[in-house]
Amino acid sequence: MSHLLDLEGVSKRFGGVQAVDQVDFHADQGEIVGVIGPNGAGKTTLFNVVTGFYGPDSGKIRFDGNNLVGLKPNQITKVGIARTFQAVRLFGAMTVLENAMVGQHPRTRAGVFGALFHTSSTRSEEERVQAKAGAALDFFGDRLSPRLNSLASELAYADRRRLEIARAMATEPKLLLLDEPAAGMNPAEKDGLIELIGRLRDEKGYSIVLIEHDMPVISGVSDRVVALDYGKKIAEGTYEEVAANQQVIEAYLGKSATQGQT
Amino acid sequence: MRAALSRDNVRAGLIGGVTVLYLALVGMIERFQDRDVITDVIGLGTLLILIGLAGTGYMASRPPKPRPGRKPVTANPALIGLVAGTTAGVLAGAVILILELLISAGVDVRSVLASVTPGMLSTMEFGLGPVGGALILVGLGAALGAGAGALRLLSDQLRDTVTFTLTAVLLMSLMEPILSAVLDGLSLPDRWLYEGGGLTVLGAVLTVVAAGAGRWFWKEREPQRKEAVALLPADRRTLYRKLAVFAAVAFLVVLPWLVGSFISDVLGTVGLYVLLGLGLNIVVGYAGLLDLGYVAFFAVGAYATGVLTSPASYLVREEGQLFAEKGLTNFWVALPFVVLIAVIIGILIGAPVLRLRGDYLAIVTLGFGEIIRTLVLSDWLAPYLGGAQGLLNVPPPPPEALDLRAPQNVYYLILVFCGIAAFVAWRLSDSRIGRAWAAMREDESVAEAMGVSIIRYKLLAFAMGAGVGSLGGVFFAAKIGSIFPNSFGLLVSINVLSVIILGGLGSIPGVIVGSAVLVGLPELLREFAEFRLLIYGAILVAIMILRPEGLVPNKRRQRELHARDAEAELSVIVTDEATS
Ligand SMILES: Nc1ncnc2c1ncn2[C@@H]1O[C@H](COP(=O)(O)OP(=O)(O)O)[C@@H](O)[C@H]1O
Ligand SMILES: [Mg+2]
Repeated sequence: MSHLLDLEGVSKRFGGVQAVDQVDFHADQGEIVGVIGPNGAGKTTLFNVVTGFYGPDSGKIRFDGNNLVGLKPNQITKVGIARTFQAVRLFGAMTVLENAMVGQHPRTRAGVFGALFHTSSTRSEEERVQAKAGAALDFFGDRLSPRLNSLASELAYADRRRLEIARAMATEPKLLLLDEPAAGMNPAEKDGLIELIGRLRDEKGYSIVLIEHDMPVISGVSDRVVALDYGKKIAEGTYEEVAANQQVIEAYLGKSATQGQT
Repeated sequence: MRAALSRDNVRAGLIGGVTVLYLALVGMIERFQDRDVITDVIGLGTLLILIGLAGTGYMASRPPKPRPGRKPVTANPALIGLVAGTTAGVLAGAVILILELLISAGVDVRSVLASVTPGMLSTMEFGLGPVGGALILVGLGAALGAGAGALRLLSDQLRDTVTFTLTAVLLMSLMEPILSAVLDGLSLPDRWLYEGGGLTVLGAVLTVVAAGAGRWFWKEREPQRKEAVALLPADRRTLYRKLAVFAAVAFLVVLPWLVGSFISDVLGTVGLYVLLGLGLNIVVGYAGLLDLGYVAFFAVGAYATGVLTSPASYLVREEGQLFAEKGLTNFWVALPFVVLIAVIIGILIGAPVLRLRGDYLAIVTLGFGEIIRTLVLSDWLAPYLGGAQGLLNVPPPPPEALDLRAPQNVYYLILVFCGIAAFVAWRLSDSRIGRAWAAMREDESVAEAMGVSIIRYKLLAFAMGAGVGSLGGVFFAAKIGSIFPNSFGLLVSINVLSVIILGGLGSIPGVIVGSAVLVGLPELLREFAEFRLLIYGAILVAIMILRPEGLVPNKRRQRELHARDAEAELSVIVTDEATS
C-alpha cells in the first residue's frame, strides 16, 4: 500500500546549516504522526518543504498520487494539505469568521464577474463558504462561534491557536500539519488539545502530522513518532520505542546539558 | 510646577514659536490676514498666530505615551501648556522685537527676509507697536497655552465639544464662497451670515451656539444611540443604510445647482480624484501593494482617450477616415477600449514586480510612473502622442445635448462614473476576491498557504486598480479637452496616495472625503495658491497625528489599530507590574 504522504531522501540547506538531511518520512491515511526533536532540529523546515514554502534541494515528495516538488504553496493546499504555524499567524485585521472563510478559497471559484453581478452561482457559493467556515468554527464548541465578528487580533491566545486550526480545516484537507499546537497552553488546555486532535481524525478523517515538544501530548495522540536531530531522522517507532532510544535521549540531554551551562 | 518646567515642554514651546515665526517669515500670515474669519474682528492671519500658540500648549500637554520601564511624569496639563505657550510667545515676541530694532537701526532686513513687511509686523504685533506687540505675544502665549492645556482637564465630552465648535467656526468661515453661493442660489439672504468674505459677528455667535449645542447633545446621547442601533433588526439597519446612501446621492445630485459653476468645476476635479482614489484604493487599500507610480494609469486613460478620439491624433488622422466613418472615434465607443488598454498595461506593469514586497515594490512602481511620463514626452512617440505639445482637441463625449461646456454637466458625468467605480470597488471588496486580497495584505505567505494564488491576485489588483483609475484619465481628457504631458507628474501619484491615506485606507467614503479635503479645499483657498503645498502638507501632518486611521476609516482597521494600542498599553502595565 502506498503512503498518503511520502518523503524520500529529502534535504534542505540554508547557507552553512543542513536544516533537513536525507530524511525519509511518511504518513498513512488516518494516522497521527508525532515529530519531535530539539530546537533547530529541522522540524519546521520539514513542514515548510512539504508545503512548498521552500523547494527541497534533493529528494522526492509525493502526496496522494501527486508529486509536490515544484508546486507552489497554494497548489499544495489545493491537493489537500493544510497547516498551522509555530508562531500563530492569523489575519489580524479580519474577523474570526472571515479568517475561516479565507480557508475556503481553494474550494471555491467565484471571479470578477460573479463578484460584480452577484450571479446566482456566486450567491450560493458564498452561502456555502459561510456555512463551511461556520462549521469549522463550531468544531471548537463555544470557543470561537460566539465571536464570529471579533477581530482575530482581539482573541485570547489559546483561541488564536484554535482559530488557526479552524482556518486550516476550512481548506478541507486530507492531511493536517500542526506546528507546536500546544505551545503556550496550560495543562487543562493541553488535555483539551489531545482530545481535539483525536476528534480531528475520528470525526473529520484527517491524517495528522504534529510537531510538539510536549511529551504528554505526543504520547497521548501519536500512532507513531519520528525524532529529528540536526536535520537527520534519528529514530522512528511507537512513543515508547522512541523515548527509550539512546540517540534521542542524548539529543535531548545534550541540548539541555549545553543549555544548562549557558 | 517643577514637572511642568521639563525640557520636553520648553522644547515643545520652542517648536511652536519657530512654527509661528516660520509662517510669518514665508509671508503666509500677512497674506492670510487679507481674509477675515469674523469680519472686522479677527483675520485669518491673526487666527493662525492664535492657533499656533494654542496648538503649542495643546500638543505639549498631550498625555505621555506609556513606555515600558518608564514611569510617566505627571504634571498639570494647564501648567505644561502655560510653560510651552509662554516659551513660544517669548520666542516669537523676541524675534519680532529684534527685527523691529534692526529695521529702525537702518538694516535692510527685507533683502534677506523678503516677507518682513510693515503689514506682517503689524499683524504679528496686533497693531500695538513693537514693545506692546512683543508683550502681547508673550501674554497670549501664556493664556492660550494654559487654556489649551486646560482643555485636557475637561471631560472628554466637553473637550470634544470645545474643539468641535472652534473648528466649526473656522470651517464656516472658510466655506464662505460655497455657502454664500448656495444661499444666493436659493435666493435666500446671506448678509446676516457673511460679510466681506468672512462671518458676521452674528454668524459667528450662531455658529458657536449651533455647533456647540449640537455636538454636546450628539455626544450626550451617543451611548443610547449606539444601543438603539445595536438593537435594530438587521433588515431595518440595511434599510437605514440604504436611506443614508440615497440621501447622500440626492445631496450630490442637487449640489452643483446650489453652488454655481465655479465650484461645480472644482467638484468635477474632486470627482476625478475620487476615480483615481477608488482605483488606487484597490491596489493599496485592499491588496496592500504600495504603488507610487499610479499616475501611469491616469496617463494611460487620458492618452488612450486622446489617441482614439482626437482629430489631432495620428490614428485618427491617418487611419481615421475608416474609423470615423464607422463611428469608432466616438467617445463612448472608445471608452471600453481605453479601460481594456489600461487593464492590460496594469498587468504588464504588475508582472515584473510580482516578487517584490513593500518598499521595493514602491520604488519600482515609482520608476514605472516616471517611465510613462518620459514615454509620453519622448520624441520617439511624439508622432502618436504629441510629445511636449500634447494632444489637443479631444472632443467632448457626444451627444451635443450633454452640453459639457457647463461645469455642472461635466460634474454629473463624472459623478455617474464615480458611482459605477464605487460600486465596482465595493462589490470586489465584499467578495471572495476581496477576502483573498485582505489575506494577502495581512500576510502574503499565509494567504498562499490558504490556497490564494499570490500571482493571480496581485495581477488582478493591478488590473482592477488600473481599469478604475483609467476612468480618471478618461474624464480628465473629456473635461479639459487637451492632454499635456506635464499633467502626469509624480505629484499626481503622491496626491492620490495622500487622498486615500487621509480618508482612511480601504474605505470608500474615505476616498470621497479625502478628495474633498485635499483637492477641494485647496481649490477654494486659491487666493493663497502660493502656499497651497504648505497648507496641503500641514493638513496631512495634522490629520495623521490626530487621526492616524484616516477621516472616515474602514471600521475594521480602526478596531485593529485600537486593539493594537490597547495591547501595547496592556503590555506596559504588565511589565510595570512585573518590575515593581
Ligand atoms: N529561512 C531560513 N533561513 C536560514 N536558516 C533557516 C531558515 N529556516 C530555518 N533555518 C535554520 O534551519 C535549522 C532548523 O530550523 P527549524 O526547522 O526551524 O527547527 P525546529 O523547527 O526543529 O526548531 C535552524 O538552524 C534554523 O536556524
Ligand atoms: Mg520549529
